[in-house]
Amino acid sequence: MNFVLKMVARELRASWRRLLFFFVCVAIGVAAIVTLRSIIQSIRTGLMREARATIASDVLVQSTRPWTPEIRAELDDRLAKAPVQARTESIETATMVRAERGAPVARMVELRGVEAGYPFYGTVVLQNGAPYSHALIEHAGTLVRPELLAQLGVKLDDRILIGGQPFTIRGVIDQEPGRRVGGFSLGSRVLVDLVDLRKTGLLTFGSRANYQLLLKVRADGVDNLTRDVRAGFRDRFVTARSYRSTEDQIGESLQRAENFLSLVGFVIVVLGGIGVWSVTRVFVRQKIRSVAILKCVGASTAQVLATYVLQVALLAAAGSLIGVAIAAVAIRAIPAALTESFGGLPYGLTGSAVLQGLTVGLLVSVLFALVPLLDIRRIKPLLLIRGADTTIAVTPTAAGARGLSARLRHIDWLQMGLAAAVGAALVGVASWQAGSWRAGAAVSIGFAAVSAVLYVAAFALVRFVMPLASAPWFPLRHAVISLRRPGNQTRVILLAVGLGSFFVLGVRALQSNLVSEFDVGVTRGGADMFIIDVQRDQVEGVQSLLRERQDPGTSPARLVPVLRARVTAVRGRDVNLENVGDVRGRGSLAREYVITYRDNLESNERIVEGKFWNGAGPLPADAPLSEVSVEESIHERFNIHIGDEMRFDVLGRTLAARVTSIRHVEWGDARSGGFMFVFRPGSLSQAPHTFIGFVKAPDDPTARARLQYDLVARYPNITAIDGREILARIQHVIDNAVLGISVVGGIALLSGVLILIGAVAMTKFQRVYESAILRTLGASTRLLMTTLAIEYCALGLLAGAIGAAGALGLSWGVTRYVFDISWRPVPGLLAAGALLTALLVVAVGVLASADVLRKKPLATLRAE
Amino acid sequence: MIELRGVSKSVPSGSSVLTILHPIDLVVPDGKVVAITGASGSGKSTLLGLIAGLDAPTGGHIAIDGVDITALDEDALARLRGRRIGFVFQFFHLLPSLTALENILVPMEIAGVPGARTRAIALLEEVGLSQRGHHYPSQLSGGEQQRVAIARALANDPPLLLADEPTGNLDSTTGRQIIDLLLQANRSRGTTLLLVTHDPELAAVAHMSVALRDGRVVSQTGPDPAPPIPDPTSHIPDAGQ
Repeated sequence: MNFVLKMVARELRASWRRLLFFFVCVAIGVAAIVTLRSIIQSIRTGLMREARATIASDVLVQSTRPWTPEIRAELDDRLAKAPVQARTESIETATMVRAERGAPVARMVELRGVEAGYPFYGTVVLQNGAPYSHALIEHAGTLVRPELLAQLGVKLDDRILIGGQPFTIRGVIDQEPGRRVGGFSLGSRVLVDLVDLRKTGLLTFGSRANYQLLLKVRADGVDNLTRDVRAGFRDRFVTARSYRSTEDQIGESLQRAENFLSLVGFVIVVLGGIGVWSVTRVFVRQKIRSVAILKCVGASTAQVLATYVLQVALLAAAGSLIGVAIAAVAIRAIPAALTESFGGLPYGLTGSAVLQGLTVGLLVSVLFALVPLLDIRRIKPLLLIRGADTTIAVTPTAAGARGLSARLRHIDWLQMGLAAAVGAALVGVASWQAGSWRAGAAVSIGFAAVSAVLYVAAFALVRFVMPLASAPWFPLRHAVISLRRPGNQTRVILLAVGLGSFFVLGVRALQSNLVSEFDVGVTRGGADMFIIDVQRDQVEGVQSLLRERQDPGTSPARLVPVLRARVTAVRGRDVNLENVGDVRGRGSLAREYVITYRDNLESNERIVEGKFWNGAGPLPADAPLSEVSVEESIHERFNIHIGDEMRFDVLGRTLAARVTSIRHVEWGDARSGGFMFVFRPGSLSQAPHTFIGFVKAPDDPTARARLQYDLVARYPNITAIDGREILARIQHVIDNAVLGISVVGGIALLSGVLILIGAVAMTKFQRVYESAILRTLGASTRLLMTTLAIEYCALGLLAGAIGAAGALGLSWGVTRYVFDISWRPVPGLLAAGALLTALLVVAVGVLASADVLRKKPLATLRAE
Repeated sequence: MIELRGVSKSVPSGSSVLTILHPIDLVVPDGKVVAITGASGSGKSTLLGLIAGLDAPTGGHIAIDGVDITALDEDALARLRGRRIGFVFQFFHLLPSLTALENILVPMEIAGVPGARTRAIALLEEVGLSQRGHHYPSQLSGGEQQRVAIARALANDPPLLLADEPTGNLDSTTGRQIIDLLLQANRSRGTTLLLVTHDPELAAVAHMSVALRDGRVVSQTGPDPAPPIPDPTSHIPDAGQ
């Protein structure tokens, strides 16, 4: 062992420079893993720490409907039995606000009315360091976000109108528990006293408000209480969640993100591993004579092998440490825009990410280096007295071997076995990094399949170009000879470059698929303002105001009646759900749907089955069952057919209806809205309901603002949502997501290209000697370069093409089965990628050999 | 003592078999200097390689001090070489990543010999390179490299020293110095010395001479009373080339 350690130290001292690329491969991969994982872990830790602040309580009980006396009594009863230490109420609703004096603009905000106890956890941070207290908002006071001040042109101590009532701005919110800058919201937060909110008249019938009960509960009672409330109010629109369930939800989705990114990191490490394999192979070739000498002076194979394996392990460890350092620098260098999309949470290197990066880096490099290192066993000291013949005895080629049995005898079963074991270990590491056997196996199978194709392609290439070996043009002839000479690099380059381009192009293709999925645009001419919570007696007034203000020539605004309903039973051919419990078993069928009634089809609808009551007039009053038209996807997912009888709970009233038609809705063209259930007029006309409007608002921004303002001024309870503003906000969130995806793709691209360069550059050592001999025989630099360029071009084109084909398959599989989005092949990108790969290989190959060509041939020949 | 009984070597060549060595019998008593001569391709180096256990004979047996080395596996052969056989090559074959001193240390470290460093320094001095211990092979002349190689071969004080055309790559003056070093080892340590050489002068000073042609022994002289081996008249350190 003593000898092994000493030899490792001496060898490293002498050859670390030559193994620099080995470092680079390992370092890049480890840096990728550590960076990606650290960021996600930091975010998760931050969010977990703030889980209580997210809901500002231990348990949050909420309902989309006002508390009825019965529910209230029952809830009080249940809470009395639980270790509830404090409670406070709050109501959230989206509404419009405007300045009492100032610019005539109205803005949608997320209004929250709170009581004195709010919040139990987290703090409301006000600008200028002013402390938050409930007294600030009592008696018609309000706290708003800085952006609202700017939007409405108001300042501290000015008054704004909420639901027609004046409120004095007493503070500016800097930070609010559970609300993050980058998250999506309909509008900025406005905080008022709950008592004042109730006085505004915003909470009229049918308005969209969220009624909340915030509870502070002793730790041991949290889960029981949450379960108890959930079970007790299952069918009454009351839900409960604890900070722990929030924690779980955030935790789960972030865990998935972490595992996905880690898998990307792992793939980069595997690419690095291929680089390591390529380096080790060349390294072993360069060390053949040294190994023979060591064996000649008495070292056993085990000792020599141990020397080199340990050397590789030390280099891998050093490379991994460098990778961690790169990650630390990279994390510091992340642009501020990304920090914002992560919610402004602080992040840095995490211990577990560093540990995982180091482990994976070490494991993968040793695994990839082991197979080529095994060649050391076959190095015979005899070669020392055989002069310059320093090749390793390899499996004889077809010319040398006689039949299958001779070939089988020459197979190195230990090496094959080890290769298989290494493969299995890599699947294991991949699964560990992905957090799932399936994902790990899928990635490994993808790699193995592309590798197999590349391997076969290498043979095919050699066969295919064979006739050119007698071509009259010297560079072509020699390029072909190089491709198939003994100890050629054809397979190594094809494998390394092919896998590299497969991965890099795959990530790019995926990225472009993901980004185009996010591509949202405003349809010109379509409705771009939505008016909600219009009461029955306001319909006339709203419609005339809209008529007045719309640009000439635009289609008139229409107000559509809406109600909220839940499916409580279905009785039919293929499905028999007797009660709410059964419906719940069907998953999303149990959710609350917004329904409407009308006697015509909209322009974005068509009947695919059955008959619509087009213009048939309202349902006769004595009809036992109403009629309902069901959207196509509901029909498909829940097996609901024509003739089936459905029961709905509409605001506590049971409504039975027969399915008379199945509708297809063009969701992409939702100018007229889209409804899962449309009823025949009659039965619902008398039920209490509100109206929503899809409006093509004026194009001029001032006119739009004015319309919004006047609508709200006249009807304080209604909300006018500017679609353009919302789209801009969605676009902002998407831009952040796209930036994130591009950064990950960029890291992959950069690592892939670097590793590619290295893998190709390493092959130059094979050519040094040959080039020197050709030079002594009179070959010019240009001739040698042309020969090299032809050889590398053939390899690069083939590898790029196979990589691109693999990437096409990868993007198809992942979009379809992992992201569940529609697949867009990106032929332009892939073709360009394949060409670039070829160019890169030629450039790197020729440039890397440039110094070989510049060197005086005698020096090379002497060194050999 | 080295004993070869019917040792032969042949290799497959295309569809036929090429015989490099026809069966050879040879006995080399301890402490002798043996010169193996012959033209290029006559099988000299093959014979030396077989005796060193670097290659396995196709037929016959080779015994070194009564141990049949043809029955040993690779690692046992490596151990045997480490302890009992020193090897000097025509192309020196030093480890390029190690200094001169470290190259001499390697066999002793493999064998786990205590006090290796002191001995390596002494050997360097013995071959006249005490000032060059920290130099890498690439910084040494051919003659110096070969002297380091001899010091390395003598590191574990092996009873048998094999040299494959040790002067073949050197000019005559340097070659002479190398031969002197080798003969001195035989004289002062009683090391058996087997030399493959083209040099008739060197063959003449050997106790025994074996001439090969086309893989067969064509003449063999000795063992007979050893002629007096000339004492190296001077020991001029190589000035480098």
